[in-house]
Amino acid sequence: MTLKRFFLAAAAIFVFLGLASSPAPAAVGCDLNDPDRDVPRLFPGATRYETLTLEIQKLGGDRLLGRIESRLRDKLRGLYETIDVPYTLYVIYRGEEKIGYIHGVTQKGRYGGIQIFLALDLDESIRTFYIQKISGPHAGRFRKPGFAEGFVSLSLADFERYEVATGQATGRVARIENPAPLAEQDFRFTLRGTKKNLILVNEFLKMSAQLAPKKGNASQ
Amino acid sequence: MSANGAALQARGLSKHYRRGSEEIAAVSDVTLRILKGEFVAITGPSGSGKTTLVHLLGCLDNPTAGELSLGDRPVFGGEGKRLSERRLTQIRRETFGYIFQNFYLLPTLSVFENLVLPLTFHRKQGARKDPMGLLKQLGLDHRRDHLPGMLSGGEMQRVAIARALVNAPDILLADEPTGNLDSKRSAEIVGILKSLSREAGVTVIMVTHNLELASEADRRFEMRDGMVL
Amino acid sequence: MMTKFQVACKNLMRKKTRSFLTLMGIALSAWVLVSLLGFNQGFEAALDRDIDNMGFQMMLMAKGCPYEAATMMLKGGTGLKYLPQSVAQDVLKEPEVEAITPMLMQTVFDPDKGENGGIAAYLGVDPASYGAMKTYLKFRQGGWFGQGDALEAVMGYEAAELEQREAGDLIFIPEKNLELRVVGVLERSGTQDDGTIFVPLRTLQRTFGRQGELTTIGIKVRKDADPGRIEEKLYELPDVQVVSLAQVKQTVMSLVSTAKALVLSIAIIAIVIAMVGVINTILMSVHERFQEIGILKTIGAMPGDIFQLIWMETLLLCAAGGMVGLGLSLILSRVTEWLVRSVLPFAPRGALVRIDLDLMLLSLGAISVIGLLSGLYPAWKAGRIRPLEAIRSEVGG
Repeated sequence: MTLKRFFLAAAAIFVFLGLASSPAPAAVGCDLNDPDRDVPRLFPGATRYETLTLEIQKLGGDRLLGRIESRLRDKLRGLYETIDVPYTLYVIYRGEEKIGYIHGVTQKGRYGGIQIFLALDLDESIRTFYIQKISGPHAGRFRKPGFAEGFVSLSLADFERYEVATGQATGRVARIENPAPLAEQDFRFTLRGTKKNLILVNEFLKMSAQLAPKKGNASQ
Repeated sequence: MSANGAALQARGLSKHYRRGSEEIAAVSDVTLRILKGEFVAITGPSGSGKTTLVHLLGCLDNPTAGELSLGDRPVFGGEGKRLSERRLTQIRRETFGYIFQNFYLLPTLSVFENLVLPLTFHRKQGARKDPMGLLKQLGLDHRRDHLPGMLSGGEMQRVAIARALVNAPDILLADEPTGNLDSKRSAEIVGILKSLSREAGVTVIMVTHNLELASEADRRFEMRDGMVL
Repeated sequence: MMTKFQVACKNLMRKKTRSFLTLMGIALSAWVLVSLLGFNQGFEAALDRDIDNMGFQMMLMAKGCPYEAATMMLKGGTGLKYLPQSVAQDVLKEPEVEAITPMLMQTVFDPDKGENGGIAAYLGVDPASYGAMKTYLKFRQGGWFGQGDALEAVMGYEAAELEQREAGDLIFIPEKNLELRVVGVLERSGTQDDGTIFVPLRTLQRTFGRQGELTTIGIKVRKDADPGRIEEKLYELPDVQVVSLAQVKQTVMSLVSTAKALVLSIAIIAIVIAMVGVINTILMSVHERFQEIGILKTIGAMPGDIFQLIWMETLLLCAAGGMVGLGLSLILSRVTEWLVRSVLPFAPRGALVRIDLDLMLLSLGAISVIGLLSGLYPAWKAGRIRPLEAIRSEVGG
């Protein structure tokens, strides 16, 4: 390899990596890594989707934040659960008929961010539960199908009584088994993230008539 | 050629034009002498050459042939040598003031600004030190800040006269000065020209087709077919 | 008394709309000129800053396929080549070298990162020398790790954001089953460091069984030294290759210089168009004032006076237009910057459009010169008007 070729390679690297400007300095959201692949997998029957980007700050500001926190019975806190986080809501269609939604939140976990996606029917009940990312020695257990099945058909009504602060669960939520007893903290974080996800979708849908969706790609 | 008391002396002055293959004699072999402080009228029907003659006398154009002196200074010599526009302008601004039928005031300048405009380009020795005095004399001092568009025809011509006088010219050339005025205003203007000649000693040469107004002059030159009768 | 300048101003005010439109034409061209020149200046300065902010001017790596090195940096691939750490000491002995910082890059496969898993990369650094070279790195929370082999980590802004980590939180290295405590989260720097997880060098070496080994040595060259010389010397070391960032900058700048030439051409075209507009406006104005100009000559204006008058009108239009254009470019420089960033595929951090006093004076000067040139022909034409033609154009003989 000649020196010149190396310089060119290094130049390419530095140009694309080292000198690339940072993305816009706003909070980072939670998107599907590959929506064209993931949407049909999480929502069988989907033929296309539309993408909405929503922020608590823009939709209702502090009032909306207050409502969310009171429903969650916990504060949205820290460096990353801020009022300007962009949430991506995928609106799912079969042909021209709307059939449901997919929405993701990042929940702080013990070792890293836990990205929790819910595929919801039109009545906001869970059709599919999907953890796109999780860190830790027991991370794999949370991504096993058995765990995800425990969430199917649950809705906000079930999670309304789940106490995020103490981990006290009743009804169908109490029947969800912790797949990794040594990772109790991450189990509780997952349930909190799920409840937060459901509350956000519920609040966003109340305001969705005001927003014009962007077109997504047709999958399949 | 020398001149005693003559403001202007012309000999054999001619101006010919070529129109296609035809040669037209607009002015033909004119010889005249105008004394200082005289008020002279040049009359004649349309096409008689009176305006062309006045342009030659006023150094607005070069003659085809003939001589012209201003005071004792020769201007156009016998060899028909053409003077440049630059040279003509130099002569004009030292000697003449001009008034025209259409007044030609600058519409965006006020009366006072129009009056002093010649001083922007040239200040002759002996130029009026108080231009406002001129306006007062002509009864226009109350109009000093008005634009020409706000004045009557008579008032505009009076401003033009004041402008023509601001550099203290020896000779005032008036080309149909009453052409756009009614009879009352016309008489007023001619009266002003007459008093300039009588009282200020300015030589006035007026072109007009109005014989009644021409009768106010000290002398009258009648023109026909380019010649003075 | 009236000055020619006052007469010129009044003449321009005669047709306010036309003068205004011509002025705006010049202003827009001036805006384009100043913004583009400002971009030229700003981009180069921003690039310089970015390169300088790399901290080190050269990097030493183990000799190997450069494309593998590229892959390593992009994704963290397999087949990394290593440098013995002793090389760092050899490099430091060179008189041209001011400082060095040793680095070890290691990667693991994380099966729970995304649907099919992903690569997690860690950079082992010596915090004292790394921090000293990259002085722009500031902490949002906490600070560098203490001991050289502590089980600690510092996270770049974006890496921390993705993992929702704050100082005091834990991270986990898969495959090695190692917990590290986050002791610092960096502020956004706009460089590669934003996405990096830093670990003490010795900790990483020990964890991955790479004691005494490095992947890269960052080198800071003394200001007065000749980088070419030290490069040559470094090549004498066995099995190494040198990447000089000065070379990288040159490559990028040569790409940019083509763009610069294009940018200047556009600016010139804009100015020429404005010039044509000015000539047209003034010519029209001279034509309309044909009679009036002739009369000015009868009242004593020499051809040179008329020339000056018309020329002054042109200069006034251009100077006024130029000033408005300058004002626009200053007020709208953020807008111009946004436009440029949305179009450029890669842009350095910081202000891209830099308009300083020198540039403004230069541009105003250029526009004034253009004004003077534009006015030459109309002024000359006006100077040649003969009073007789002007008078005759209305009155019959």
